[in-house]
Amino acid sequence: MKSKFIPVLLSVAIALSACSSAPLTTSTLDQARNDHVAAQSNSAVTQYAVPEFKAATEALNAANAAAADRQSTEKIDQLAYVAKQKIATAQEVARARKAEVDLKQASQQRDQVRLEARTVEAETAKRSAEQAQAEAEAARARAEQANAATQNAQQQTQALAAQLAELQAKQTERGTIITLGDVLFNVDQAVLTSGGQATVQKLATVLRENTDRTVLIEGFTDSTGSTAHNLQLSQRRAEAVRSALAQAGIDRSRVDVRGYGEAYPVAGNESAGDRQLNRRVEIVLSEPGKPIQARR
Amino acid sequence: MSPRYTLPMLLATAALLSACASQKTPATADVAVSRAAVENATQAGAAELAPAELLAAREKLQQASRALADKDYKLASDLAQQAQADAKLAQSKATSAKATSAANEVQENVRVLREELDRANKQ
Repeated sequence: MKSKFIPVLLSVAIALSACSSAPLTTSTLDQARNDHVAAQSNSAVTQYAVPEFKAATEALNAANAAAADRQSTEKIDQLAYVAKQKIATAQEVARARKAEVDLKQASQQRDQVRLEARTVEAETAKRSAEQAQAEAEAARARAEQANAATQNAQQQTQALAAQLAELQAKQTERGTIITLGDVLFNVDQAVLTSGGQATVQKLATVLRENTDRTVLIEGFTDSTGSTAHNLQLSQRRAEAVRSALAQAGIDRSRVDVRGYGEAYPVAGNESAGDRQLNRRVEIVLSEPGKPIQARR
Repeated sequence: MSPRYTLPMLLATAALLSACASQKTPATADVAVSRAAVENATQAGAAELAPAELLAAREKLQQASRALADKDYKLASDLAQQAQADAKLAQSKATSAKATSAANEVQENVRVLREELDRANKQ
C-alpha cells in the first residue's frame, strides 16, 4: 500500500513543482520585453519620449505582474499587446521629435547658406561692376589715344602739306616732285647756293618727320656741252643734294641718286630761258612705305 | 418570503446590479476613447502613412462595439484598449513619417544650396 503511493506522490510533486517553477510567459510578452530593452537603449527615446516611454514601461510592468500572478494567457497577452504597441509608439514619438529638431537645425543651416549665397552674389555683382567700369575706363582711354593719334596724324599731314607747298611740290603718279631750279646751284658747278641749302633743309625736315618716305634725286642738264660732261654734272648735282641731306641727318639709305644729263628735257634748248628750265634737280618723294617708280 | 431574508436578498441583487453597471461604464468609456483615437490617427494621415496599424485599430474598434452591444463588457474593454494602443501607434507613425520627410527635404535643400554656393565660389 505504502509503496504504491510513492510514485503517485512523486509525480504529483513533479507536476506541482513544474507548474510553480516554469515562468509563465507568452510570445507577445517576450516580444514586448525585447522591444522594451531596444527602446531603452535608444538614446532618442530616453531624450525625446520620456512620458510615452514611462507609460509603456508601466504597461509592460502590468503585463509582467499578470504573468507573475499566473493569470490567464489571454489576460497576459492583452496587457503585453498594449505594452508592445505603447513601446512602439514611444519609438515613433522619439523619431518624430528628433526629426523636428533636425528640421529646425536644417532650416537654420538653410538660412545660413542662403545668406552666404546672397553675400557671394553681391560680391560677384560688385566685382563685375568694377570690372565693367575698368573696361569702360580702358575703352575711353583707348578712344582718347586713338583720337589723339588721329589728331596727331592730321596735324602731321597738314604740316607736310604746308611744307610741301612751301617747296612748291607737285603731285604726280610717281609721287610728290620738288624741283630745284638751276638758280639754286652755282653756274656749271655741283655746289648748292644758300637758297638751295635752305630748300634742302626744308626737305630734310619733311623726311625727318615722315620716316616712312624715301627720296629719289634726279639730276638734269641742258644740251649745251658734251654728253659726258652733262651726265657727270647732273650726277654730281644730285649727289650734292644727297650730301646736304646727309649733313642734315637723313640716312643715305633713304636717298637714291640718278644723273640723266641732257635727257628728259622739260623745255626746248633754243632759248637761254628754256635751257635754264632744263638745268634742274628733281626730288621725288615717295608715298608712305612705297618704293618710287623708275622713270620710263 | 420572510422579511428576515428580504434585506440580504435586496443587498445581493443591488450588489450584482452595481457590479454589472460598474463593468458596463468603463467599457463604454474605453470604446469612446478608442473611437476618438482612431479619428485622430485618421486626421494625422495614418490611412496613408500607417495603414496596417490603422486597419487593426478599426477592426478592433468594430469588434469592441459589437462586444459592447452583446454586453460582453470585459471583451469590449480589452479590444477597445488594444484598438486605442493601435490607433495611437498609427498616429505617431504618421506624425514621425511626416516630420522625417520634412526634415529630409530641408536637409536636401541645404545640400543643393551648398553645392550651388560652392560652384559660385569657385567661379
